[in-house]
Amino acid sequence: MSHHLFILSPSDTPLYSLTHLSSRPAAPAPSPLSANLPSWSTSAFAGTLTALSGASSMAQMSTQGGGVRMGGGQDRHVIQMIANASLDMIEDVVRRENGMYLKAVDKFNEWTISAFVTPGNTKFVLLHEGKNDDGIRAFFVEVWELYLKTMMNPFHTAHSTIRSSVFDTRVRASAKKYL
Amino acid sequence: MASTRFSVLSSSSLSSAELLSPTGSSGRFSLPSAPSITTAVGPSKPLVRPNIYDRPLNKTRSAEVSASAFAFLFSEIVQYTQKRVGGINDFERRLNTLGYRIGTRVLELMIWRTEGSSKAPKREIRFLPALMSIHNNVWKAVFGKTADGVEKSVENADEYMIIDNDPVVTRSISVPRELSQLSCSSFTAGLVEAVLDGLGFPARVTAHNTPNVDHPSRTTILIKLDKSVLDREELFK
Repeated sequence: MSHHLFILSPSDTPLYSLTHLSSRPAAPAPSPLSANLPSWSTSAFAGTLTALSGASSMAQMSTQGGGVRMGGGQDRHVIQMIANASLDMIEDVVRRENGMYLKAVDKFNEWTISAFVTPGNTKFVLLHEGKNDDGIRAFFVEVWELYLKTMMNPFHTAHSTIRSSVFDTRVRASAKKYL
Repeated sequence: MASTRFSVLSSSSLSSAELLSPTGSSGRFSLPSAPSITTAVGPSKPLVRPNIYDRPLNKTRSAEVSASAFAFLFSEIVQYTQKRVGGINDFERRLNTLGYRIGTRVLELMIWRTEGSSKAPKREIRFLPALMSIHNNVWKAVFGKTADGVEKSVENADEYMIIDNDPVVTRSISVPRELSQLSCSSFTAGLVEAVLDGLGFPARVTAHNTPNVDHPSRTTILIKLDKSVLDREELFK
C-alpha cells in the first residue's frame, strides 16, 4: 500500500513530492470501477510508459519499496496526473469550505485524494488507497509545521522547490508514523 | 524600554571600538564601524549550524523586538530602496514588495499558532471576517496593537480602508517635503496585500497619508479588491 504526497505552491508549481510505501496491510476498500478497468502498468504499453515517465524514478521507487511490486496505476506519470487532476476539485472545495483538511476530495480508480490547504494557499495533496482519516490529518499537520519552518527561511520563496534533506527525513518519519 | 536598549547598543559598540583600536598600525585605516561587526560574528568555538527544523515555532510567540532596533533596520531599508528607484511610485512599489515577503510568512505563522493544535484547523473564506482578522490579529501580531479603524468606501464598493493613527513603521520617519506624496507605510500595505492574497482575496493595496489635527501621522491602507472577490462574495449571499 503506497502513499504519494505532493506539495504545490499557491500557483500550483510542485515544490516537493514523496512516495511512501507502508508495510501496513491496505484497508479493504474495493472499488468496483478499478476491478473492471485494465491495470495501467501491466498493459502492453507499460514499458513505453515507464520509459517516458523517466526510468530513474521508477528504479528509485522499486528500490525504496524493498521488493514491493508496483501494481496497477502506480506509474509515476499516472500518479502525477491524478494528483494534478484533483487540483480542480480542491480549488472548488476551498472556496466553499473553511476547513484546511479536505478529506477525500477526489477519487480515481483505487486512489483516494485527500488534501490540506495552508492559510497561504499552499496545497498538500496525498494519494492513498485505504481509509485512515485521523492518521492522514495528523500527518498533514506535521507536514504543515515542517513546511512552515521551511517557509520562514528568508531564502525560500514561494516557488523554490524544497531540497532540504532534513525536511525530507522528517516528512518520511512522520509518514512512517501515521500512514 | 526602547531608550534603554538603545543605550546598551551604543555602549557595546563603543567598548568594542576601544578594544579593537590599538594605538599603532591597523586601526588607522580601518573603518570606524567595522570592528563592532567583526566582534559580533567571531566566536572561536567550532561553528554548529543550527537546523531550522529543530527550532520550535512558538518560542518567539510573545517575544518583542526593540522599537529602536526596528527603526534602525527600517531606516536602512528605506535608504537602500531610495538609492535604487527613480520615483515615488517605484519607491512605494519596492517597499510594497518587501512587505509582501513578510506578509506571506506572518499569515502562515499566525494561523499556525492559533489553529495548529486544533483538531480541525480552519482558514478564513469570507472577506469581511478576513478583513477584521487583519485589523485585529495581524496588527496585534506585527505591531502589538490593533489598527484604529476599518472603513468601507462610500463611492466604490470594492474599496476598503484600514486606518492606523500612529503606524509603528513610520514613527521615526520624517518625509522631506519634495517626497511629500511618499508613504513609507507602503511596506505595511504590501504586508496586507500578501495576507489577502494568501487567503484568496487578490487586491491592490496602497498606503496614503491622511493626517488630521489629533494624529499628524495618520495613515490609511487602501484595499482595492479584485473583481473576482466581489463576485465570489455575491455567491455566498
